[in-house]
Amino acid sequence: MKSLIVLCLLLQLTFCKTNTDTIDKNIVNAKIDRKIDISSHLVKTSTSVTLENKGTSPVRSFLFSVEPLLKNSIAFIGASSKDDKEKLDVSLTTVAGHSDKTFYRVTLRSALDGGKTTVVELEAIFSHILRPYPSEIAQAEKQLVVLEANLYFYSPYPTTSQTTTVVTTSSNVESYTKTKPVSQSDTSIIYGPYEDKSAFAEAPLKVHEENNSPFLTVTSMERVVEVSHWGNIAVEEHIDMTHTGASLKGSFSRFDYQRQQDGLASIKTFKTSLPASARDVYYRDEIGNISTSHMREMDESVEVELRPRFPLFGGWKTRYFLGYNVPSYEYLFFKDEHYALKMRFIDHIYDDMVVDKMQLRIILPEGVKNIELKIPFEVERQGDQVHYTYLDTLGRPVVVLNKNNLVEQHIQDFELHYTFQRLLLLQEPLLVVGAFYLLFLVVIIYVRLDFAITKDEAKESRMRVAGFIDEVQNAHDRRSALYQSYDDAINKFKSSKDAAAFSAGRKKIDADYKQLTQQIQNIQAQLKTEGAEASEKVAELQRLDSLYKEQVGLAIMAAEKLVAGKMGRQQYLDAEAATTSKCDDTYKKMESLRATL
Amino acid sequence: MGSRLDRYSSIQSTSYCNIGDEFSDREILLSIVPVALPQFIFILQDISFGLSMRKSQGTWGLQWLLRMSSDKQDTLLKMVILSVAATLAFSTRLFSVLRFESVIHEFDPYFNYRTTRFLAEEGFYNFHNWFDDRAWYPLGRIIGGTIYPGLMVTSAFIYHVMNYFHLTIDVRNVCVFLAPLFSSFTTIVTFYFTRELKDASAGLVAAAMLSIVPGYISRSVAGSYDNEGIAIFCMLLTYTLWIKAVKTGSIFWGSLCSLAYFYMVSSWGGYVFLINLIPLHVLMLMFTGRFSHRIYVAYSTVYCLGTILSMQISFVGFQPVQSSEHMAALGVFGLCQIHAFVDYLRSKMSSDHFNTLFRSLVLLVGSIAFGAAAVATALGKIAPWTGRFYSLLDPSYAKNNIPIIASVSEHQPTTWSSFYFDLQLLMFLFPVGLYYCFSKLTDANIFIIMYGVTSIYFAGVMVRLMLVLAPVMCVLGGIGMSAVLTTYMKNLDNPLKKEKKSSKKIESNYPLKNEIATCVVIMMTAFLLFYTYHCTWVTSEAYSSPSIVLSARGGDGSRIIFDDFREAYYWLRHNTPEDAKVMSWWDYGYQITAMANRTILVDNNTWNNTHISRVGQAMASPEEKAYEIMRELDVGYVLVIFGGLTGYSSDDINKFLWMVRIGGSTDRGSHIKEWDYYTPQGEFRVDKDGSPVLLNCLMYKMCYYRFGSVYTEGGKPTGYDRVRNTEIGNKDFELDVLEEAYTTEHWLVRIYKVKDLDNRGA
Repeated sequence: MKSLIVLCLLLQLTFCKTNTDTIDKNIVNAKIDRKIDISSHLVKTSTSVTLENKGTSPVRSFLFSVEPLLKNSIAFIGASSKDDKEKLDVSLTTVAGHSDKTFYRVTLRSALDGGKTTVVELEAIFSHILRPYPSEIAQAEKQLVVLEANLYFYSPYPTTSQTTTVVTTSSNVESYTKTKPVSQSDTSIIYGPYEDKSAFAEAPLKVHEENNSPFLTVTSMERVVEVSHWGNIAVEEHIDMTHTGASLKGSFSRFDYQRQQDGLASIKTFKTSLPASARDVYYRDEIGNISTSHMREMDESVEVELRPRFPLFGGWKTRYFLGYNVPSYEYLFFKDEHYALKMRFIDHIYDDMVVDKMQLRIILPEGVKNIELKIPFEVERQGDQVHYTYLDTLGRPVVVLNKNNLVEQHIQDFELHYTFQRLLLLQEPLLVVGAFYLLFLVVIIYVRLDFAITKDEAKESRMRVAGFIDEVQNAHDRRSALYQSYDDAINKFKSSKDAAAFSAGRKKIDADYKQLTQQIQNIQAQLKTEGAEASEKVAELQRLDSLYKEQVGLAIMAAEKLVAGKMGRQQYLDAEAATTSKCDDTYKKMESLRATL
Repeated sequence: MGSRLDRYSSIQSTSYCNIGDEFSDREILLSIVPVALPQFIFILQDISFGLSMRKSQGTWGLQWLLRMSSDKQDTLLKMVILSVAATLAFSTRLFSVLRFESVIHEFDPYFNYRTTRFLAEEGFYNFHNWFDDRAWYPLGRIIGGTIYPGLMVTSAFIYHVMNYFHLTIDVRNVCVFLAPLFSSFTTIVTFYFTRELKDASAGLVAAAMLSIVPGYISRSVAGSYDNEGIAIFCMLLTYTLWIKAVKTGSIFWGSLCSLAYFYMVSSWGGYVFLINLIPLHVLMLMFTGRFSHRIYVAYSTVYCLGTILSMQISFVGFQPVQSSEHMAALGVFGLCQIHAFVDYLRSKMSSDHFNTLFRSLVLLVGSIAFGAAAVATALGKIAPWTGRFYSLLDPSYAKNNIPIIASVSEHQPTTWSSFYFDLQLLMFLFPVGLYYCFSKLTDANIFIIMYGVTSIYFAGVMVRLMLVLAPVMCVLGGIGMSAVLTTYMKNLDNPLKKEKKSSKKIESNYPLKNEIATCVVIMMTAFLLFYTYHCTWVTSEAYSSPSIVLSARGGDGSRIIFDDFREAYYWLRHNTPEDAKVMSWWDYGYQITAMANRTILVDNNTWNNTHISRVGQAMASPEEKAYEIMRELDVGYVLVIFGGLTGYSSDDINKFLWMVRIGGSTDRGSHIKEWDYYTPQGEFRVDKDGSPVLLNCLMYKMCYYRFGSVYTEGGKPTGYDRVRNTEIGNKDFELDVLEEAYTTEHWLVRIYKVKDLDNRGA
């Protein structure tokens, strides 16, 4: 891991060639007010530095240095000016002649003129500095940790006056360095003021205190962000964690753990905040779902209370996956073909989190080009990879980013710009459609075409018969429609009494009728040659039809008689009723026969 | 290779495992489907029946259907019913996935899952040559040569095909859903099988019944990733192709049948049933004088090809020509040749000559065959009859002679209630189906009769073989049901045909024809409805708990999940040295290797009785004695299952007598006597009256360490065991050679670390 960090630093060094500075002899730390917070498992220092420019030329930046021993533990450095709380630029740099130390250059917002002073707030967070001592404790014992640090502010400039406050977890402090002046109150130990210390002054500071806060470390994590242009972004985190506090000595007793609620330093549960829009949250590991978690939706975030399968005692490890979906409209912005993804590089895992090693993999949709990354801190970008998942052909580009030693302050957004042709969205649905189309086509071809080498006479005959029957049914349907036309014609004739028109209309219908009947007759003959039983049915149908036609003829005759006045009204009605009922009867029979053909 | 399946105990202890009192909406939906099915099938059958009788007048508003030709209607109906049944077969098996998660169940499936993952990741050759040093420490196990690889190869194949098309599904999900998928296939195969036996409508009923029969579901729910899941499919496929081969007498179908047989052999040890049933069928055909060229061709092809193919499975090896279990097939093969030869001679000779020749030949061949068999047995060429086979013929054999076989609950004889539980209506339809088969005997029908009769016998011997019985029950039940319905549907008056009927003369010798028919049809519908209700209920209540995750109802009705097994395994996985050896009873071996990824001494592949016995001895001995055994076996951690706090009844104390028996069954464990663990009255008790040997043995101490101070139930003293319902006898003791390493939240799993030897000076 160390070599990785060195590598990172080297990379950064090669990247920023201009970052070599010299120590400006004119700068003096007029007043240092330093606070070292060791109430959690992190060491958080916040220092208010009053800079004085004793020279005449204006100063644009100053240097901040870290002890050689601590340079691998530093997780985060930030600076802001006291007056307007604005953030200042901090960048890594080197100083000739001081290659063992680590320097950061803080650029001031406005140049500091000679003789003037300014106040800068420096914030630094170190991980893995607090050492559990004793390093092994039994289940019921409390965890003690020791802090070993520099009593003085480590600076390339001489310091006029400085005080240091150590904030402890509780008032249970076993021992502490007593370099006077020093005073201890409830949860703080105040050292100083110490006057006139030279540059790079060092003196031991040791505080041994009780600290039962969770010493939870994420030893490595992988965060996968999968972007879909269909409106969803899936996030999954694979997290390996270890309790890096004092390790458990001897046996673990469930009885004591349940009855006496001991194991103060153990970790039972912790809370993770997810984005407010997170949906479908899951919490699992290599062997399945972990059923011990609770989720609460709040205004600002979704809070998930995660309980590992077993409580974590010192030295115990676990591993889990946490995943969720967020809608893409909150994170993905576009203009024409240009897209920008703006998401957190790392999200909250637990309060005061420490991540030793992290890899972020951003899976972009297929066909994405011109990827550009913007990120507020230095990361190592590995070469892009290709990922294949559902229905991919060319694969999706994956941006892989690595970073070591992260803390809460690294919860910042990165921006990823790329171009994407929107039409490519349709590629996968079309692929599916195409595949199904092909499948159906093949099935259709297979079913419709005959691949047999031999002829199946019976089957072919059956199919021919089926075709004929279809034709018969069609013809009969049309013929049934003609019956209706007859009725209409008769009714019209009765009301208009126009014999000429009637006979003309009738002739036309007769012609149609004859043609259809002839057609059915022909088919029946063909059916007969096929030897189908349907032939008889068709013959029956024809017989019924001629019965019907007969009745129609009668009806026409009666109507003509009525119009000509040869028949009385009552007589006609009787005759009509008789024919109608017969017609209906025959019609029904024909229909049923037709259905069973 | 059985696992100890205490599925019945989980039903009885209702205080503990009463899952599914309330269904969620999804589950209700899921349960409606199978209920709706029979009605659906019924209606469809009604329609198709009506159509085939040419009576239908289109009053159901299904004009579009009626306009189709009857061929098309037929195909459409069949496809609809079959696909509904297949979908149902899949979905009814998903209860546990919906209720819990997509997780592997039980014990054996974990091994199968682990090997499948290995196969998918490492490829077939590495799999074939895999020597597993994670199990049976210090012996190890040659996995490639001691398993039936069909299941793993199938899932790995599906996995690779899916991933080739970039459908990135992981191995676990393939494994979880494989059994339901193959159940769907089985449903379809059942249709074809029954259609070959009787007709398509019987096939549809059989398929629908099979899709939800609990006897089959018990081994094929989602997550139950076991050999049986695909083996039933293979078995029915082989039978179907066999029937086809017998009917056609074609080498093509015979070869296909032997390929299916090969798949079956590669996937399940139960193939022995198959290779005995087919010869039995042939033999029966010979006795009934139905032997013909068709059968000769079919059997010769199937036997020769099938045997050669089955020998390609390295676990089977030369057994098909050596072991006695396969001798029947060989014998019938020989008999076939002789029969064919005799037939040939008979056609060429006069009957007098023939008879003389026949008698002398029978004598000669008989004595030679007997002599050869005797010599081969004496030389050990023919494997001795294995215990499992004996126990098939004589149910009490295993119990008396091989404790490790008898200790597995699924090797116990089946009770009547579990027959009804697993088959319900089919129990009564089975004889009906048999009747219809007998009433119209064909070559194929004889097969199903043989299959039904033999499998009902085997299912009576062993609970586990219920699985073999379930399909034939469905087939015969389907035949029976369909025949009854077809008979009576014909007698129903058709209201739309009344005119014609009235013109005819009413048959006076059958009074109330319509009414009786209606009654029968309604009754059958009701039976089918109850059948589906029962099947769904059984599936949901009894067969859908993953057993790795337990659930119970709390006082306020909320669901409490006991995930202790995984808690313990996961703890082992991450917080013990990579090479730690874990000792536990063999039941948990597969799960520990798969989930905890640690080396274990014994597992569910109970191939080495002495090794298991050694572990049994350690568990049954007092601490000092056990320490010697544990040092000898390099044990780092010991894992026990303890249900005393929660009331989980299949824990190690309840299995303890088997450990004693198995421990005492070898020479080195001869000092362990079962009787020492009983009270003078012959009872097994853990309270004050219990035998002192029991109260001081390692297993007792590990289970009850510090339990003596725990209050488990109101109004009861401390150390009250909720499984045995007594206060434990030995409460206050310390462990000398072990220390508690981890105990899960509900005390279900307790893990102890074996201490190192003391420093000499101390």
